[in-house]
Amino acid sequence: MTGILEATDVEFDVDLDRATREGAARSWRAIVWDDPVNLMSYVSYVFRSYFGYSREEAERLMLLVHTTGKAVVATGNREAMERHVQAMHGYGLQATVARAEP
Amino acid sequence: MIVAGRSGEGVRLVLEAEEAMLLSELADQVDSVLLLGSGEDPAIDRLLPNAYPDDVEAAGEFERYTRGSLVDGKRQAAQSVRDATDVSDGRDLVEIELDESEAWGWLTFLTDLRLILAERVGVTDDGGYAEDEERDDYLRAAYEWAGFVQGSMLEILDPMDA
Repeated sequence: MTGILEATDVEFDVDLDRATREGAARSWRAIVWDDPVNLMSYVSYVFRSYFGYSREEAERLMLLVHTTGKAVVATGNREAMERHVQAMHGYGLQATVARAEP
Repeated sequence: MIVAGRSGEGVRLVLEAEEAMLLSELADQVDSVLLLGSGEDPAIDRLLPNAYPDDVEAAGEFERYTRGSLVDGKRQAAQSVRDATDVSDGRDLVEIELDESEAWGWLTFLTDLRLILAERVGVTDDGGYAEDEERDDYLRAAYEWAGFVQGSMLEILDPMDA
């Protein structure tokens, strides 16, 4: 009996670890904020060129930034989101890193 | 007046000598703002925003790891525009061919220039100007003009009917 219980415990732990890892991998966001300076055509071109988004998706995100004040442009692990935000700053966009809300 | 046309995957710009001189001067000033990088200059906050507004520690760490290369990249873009528009040989028109990567340098430089000018002339959140007689009309004109140059380049690089 002990053997079976132990095995079950181990399996459970492994699954929990994997669930935690997968959760962590998508638990950060790169957010681009609206600013009164950047041209809409520029913001959309940056999204398309840098993230490789389709024209439609880039336009959708740009309009989301423009009309609601911000848009989540990527989700993933923290390191990757920091890389994206650094790139956005390089393009002159206002961008921040945030933990995804549960 | 500036003319933008297609050049392979890039863009060809034709500027009057006076426009080139203005751009060269502005590029030199953008380079200086970045070189000084003073924390007391509010334009720096627009060029190098806080990545973690709600977390002082993470913000500091992000700044430590990224600021050097961001400043380098922005200064290189400004310097390449300054050098390309340096007209000392008395030409009336300056023609500049930019490949796609060089064009990105110009687009990001024009963005940084506009971010600085926006702070200097008091562009408000709705895109208008702060009511202030002291603000310089010359800088306001430069802000509008830089936006026009960037818009013209984007029409070539990313035509809407493509």
